[in-house]
Amino acid sequence: MKNTIKVERAIQNITQQELAEKIGVSRQTINAIESNKYVPSTLLALKMAKLFGKKVEDFFQLERGD
Amino acid sequence: MKYSLLLPSRFKLIGIILLIPSLVLGLLFRFRDFTFDFLTLTRSHSFVNGKNINLDEQINLTDELALTGLMVGLLFIAFARLKHEDEFIHHTRLQSWQWSVLINYGLLLVATWLVHGFDYIDVMMYNMLTVLIIFIIRFHIVLFRNKRTES
Repeated sequence: MKNTIKVERAIQNITQQELAEKIGVSRQTINAIESNKYVPSTLLALKMAKLFGKKVEDFFQLERGD
Repeated sequence: MKYSLLLPSRFKLIGIILLIPSLVLGLLFRFRDFTFDFLTLTRSHSFVNGKNINLDEQINLTDELALTGLMVGLLFIAFARLKHEDEFIHHTRLQSWQWSVLINYGLLLVATWLVHGFDYIDVMMYNMLTVLIIFIIRFHIVLFRNKRTES
């Protein structure tokens, strides 16, 4: 699975720290998600979707083999 | 989300404070035969093998004290909540436990075949602590590596 959270953050003009605070996680977690080391829970994905004003599929995409 | 089975974060410091003197005491006991005299107890046996014999046995509790301090200290460090405990940290925690149990038993299996006699008791003793030590090291390495790559 890949994601474009970094791009969404750029659009919103917020840092990893700010995004982390807004959805109630640590900056480490945002970093791990952005670098594809960690797949977040549905809960967290939905929180991000709400914040970005988009659907989850808009910034999380399945990859071949998933 | 609530993550159960964790202690408040201050327990990490309490664990370290408990660990250091216990480690020193344990090493002194193991390699210098150091014991605290006030921890010597006498246990009386009136019957041995069904016969009426009075036998006094001296036991010293220095090693029990050191091992308890080591175990409790390491448990406190391992189970102390991080400042910002969230799902990624929780995931890393569980993964690190899995890792440490596997490595621990790998080491124990190797030692079972390579170490014999009384030395094996030492292996068993160290093995009581290695699962906690490996967990703590691996957990913090993963978090440190992740922090380093932060952009």
